[in-house]
Amino acid sequence: MSGIALTPTAFNPIIPSSSSSSSSSSSLKSHKFIKTRTKLTQFNNNAISISSDPFLLNLAETLEDSIPTPQPLQKLREASSESLLSTPWPSRRDEPFRFTDLSFLRSSHILPAPIPTTTTTTVTPPFSDDDDQFPCHISFIDGHFINSMSKNLEFPDGVYVGSLLNLSGKVAERVLELVSGLDGGDLFWSINGMAAPDLMVVYVPEGVRVENPVHLGYLSLLGSKDGSKDLYISNPRVLVVVEKGGEVDIVEEFSNDEENENEFYWSNAVLEVVIGEGGKVRHSYIQTQSLLAAHIKWTSVRQESSSTYELTEVSTGGKLGRHNLHIKQLGPDTVTELSTLHLSVGNQTQDLHSSLVLDHPRGFSRQLHKCIVTHSQGQAVFDGNVKVNRYAQQTDAGQLTRSLLLEPRATVNVKPNLQIIADDVKCSHGAAISDLEQSQLLYFQARGIDSATARRVLIFAFGGEVIDKFPYSSVRDRVRSQIKSLLDPSPKLAPL
Amino acid sequence: MAASLSLQLPFLSSPTTKPHTHRKFACVAAAAAKSEIPLLQVNDLRAKIVESNVEILRGVNLTINRGEIHAIMGKNGSGKSTFAKVLVGHPDYEVTGGSVVFKGENLLELEPEERALEGLFMSFQSPVAIPGVSNDQFLLMAYNARRKKLGLPELGPLEGFSYLMEKLQLVNMKPDFLNRNVNEGFSGGERKRNEILQLAVLGADLAILDEIDSGLDVDALRDVASAVNKILTPENSLLMITHYRRILDLLKPSHVHVMDNGKIARTGDLSMVDAIEADGYELVSALT
Repeated sequence: MSGIALTPTAFNPIIPSSSSSSSSSSSLKSHKFIKTRTKLTQFNNNAISISSDPFLLNLAETLEDSIPTPQPLQKLREASSESLLSTPWPSRRDEPFRFTDLSFLRSSHILPAPIPTTTTTTVTPPFSDDDDQFPCHISFIDGHFINSMSKNLEFPDGVYVGSLLNLSGKVAERVLELVSGLDGGDLFWSINGMAAPDLMVVYVPEGVRVENPVHLGYLSLLGSKDGSKDLYISNPRVLVVVEKGGEVDIVEEFSNDEENENEFYWSNAVLEVVIGEGGKVRHSYIQTQSLLAAHIKWTSVRQESSSTYELTEVSTGGKLGRHNLHIKQLGPDTVTELSTLHLSVGNQTQDLHSSLVLDHPRGFSRQLHKCIVTHSQGQAVFDGNVKVNRYAQQTDAGQLTRSLLLEPRATVNVKPNLQIIADDVKCSHGAAISDLEQSQLLYFQARGIDSATARRVLIFAFGGEVIDKFPYSSVRDRVRSQIKSLLDPSPKLAPL
Repeated sequence: MAASLSLQLPFLSSPTTKPHTHRKFACVAAAAAKSEIPLLQVNDLRAKIVESNVEILRGVNLTINRGEIHAIMGKNGSGKSTFAKVLVGHPDYEVTGGSVVFKGENLLELEPEERALEGLFMSFQSPVAIPGVSNDQFLLMAYNARRKKLGLPELGPLEGFSYLMEKLQLVNMKPDFLNRNVNEGFSGGERKRNEILQLAVLGADLAILDEIDSGLDVDALRDVASAVNKILTPENSLLMITHYRRILDLLKPSHVHVMDNGKIARTGDLSMVDAIEADGYELVSALT
């Protein structure tokens, strides 16, 4: 046997299977769930996994009724509603949600965030002063694409940035093939698929290198005050297609308006990326939602041979911040570099579930995940799975997670895991959880620097390793100052 | 205070090229200092390792006056490095008895950073790497902490950089040394040079060099010794811990101590080093 498994044996796959529901697809064509529900009850006795959960049925119905279905999105919606109804609401008994509490979502009355009115679109997003570095800007408010706030979407060389609904011809055909073709994930992936009002497309044709990055600014405006049961959900969805040899940089920023800093809402975004042979995508992702918000995000990437995907993420916001990152290798010689920093400074959970599947030879991957928890009720969760399958010979995969716990009872749950079946590979993984190192603190003190300053510098330096990887100086500067203010001994935290 | 002057400008105006001039300085300073209190006075110092409760220092006595150069030798495990670490306030050790007076103050009551700001410097035997913090950032932060203590305005990045560049030449290093992260990926020699660079930048009334010569090649040792010679003034003192004669020949200590079993077993001058080299520590320490 050539296989070496360096993983806890009880590892469950992250993607819950939804295939068992296929037999029921015909019954869903009508898009009326009231009808569907009556039809579905008869299946329940036969133990087919169709949800009888009134919460989910209700949710599906609300989402279904909230928006008209544009024709190109029909297939996506059908597939999504089907899987939504066949996927149970995740509980703490499900491995992917073992440490992630979703009960506050379930106890809320979930409403799709409506299209913002014209008056609300006059807000200034926190990232608006980056015009120099990001001339091309796509603006989402509450998950809806706002054309009037977006800029410079016209590109030469056949590059398309805009709504799927305005796309035609061969590119439209190509994109449509991919829209519902990607392997899905969990319930939240399905919720987005059902409720996404539109699909933003970034299309880069063969051999084209897009010079300016495409900046996606997602702003949440509509929130609920404490005491309200209503929870507004937004479901922005973006598809990035880079054809053979193409290159593009994507910058995603999720934030809230100052007005709703103390309000809660649910951002449930999806980004799909398809990178053709030899193509390259550099992805920057910054999440600074309100400390009361739920932020669940999917990033699903498919990499053809010799392609490169680089992700740099810094997440600091949300009561719950969850990033599901799935990367699948479709050909040999791919390069994948993931650097992520999660910061919990309050009663919050930051969660990264990543999965990298290597099926072809000579893949190269590096993953660095860092967490800082500075609050006794703060939590960080990391489940990082790297699968090196039978044909993925000469894979070079490295994974490292480091966590800083700076308060008593601050919690981190990390599960870095490698599953290796190929026998000629170079793989490493490591996990370190600690307070700051005494020897480093002493070194500062021995040079006359007091321990409080030393701690601040060391904590900041710990995160700096990830922040430095952002390719744009304005992003680096903004993230640095944001983290500095969060780590400040007198942070103005939302009342929790 | 003359002491504070020596902190800012460790050495620029009085070029000393020949090491032996220091001995003259030392004598003059020692004579002058007799009327004053000693720079460092250690009496019956006892200390143990916090974790294991093992007693390492068993009554150390040592007096260092301004301008003197002292060396402590002794076999492995005799307590030399522990002594240095206890002086700078290393948290792994607990003082169980005795006293340490530095510049007339009870040193043992001070936090490590306060000791540093008072003018006590120790070069670490194996300095720790600090990823994510650049050398110039670290040096400037430390230097500004000291300036603040002296009531001087802090230096901005530009002024700071030119001050650091000046000091960099002392240790014979390239400017990119400043951009690298503190001790990260440094060779053994680079780490030692970096310790001396810190000493040059910060200045000190008493510099303790803990095995600064270990792991250095001949050229690096010469660089380090010449940098230390340039930093030294008649007002500040040096305590070095070493196993080897080479650095003693370069820095010419006026007092050589042999440490044995947690005590200073014998004190002499450079000539004692010959005896140690010939007969070994056992015999020399037994001669007391």
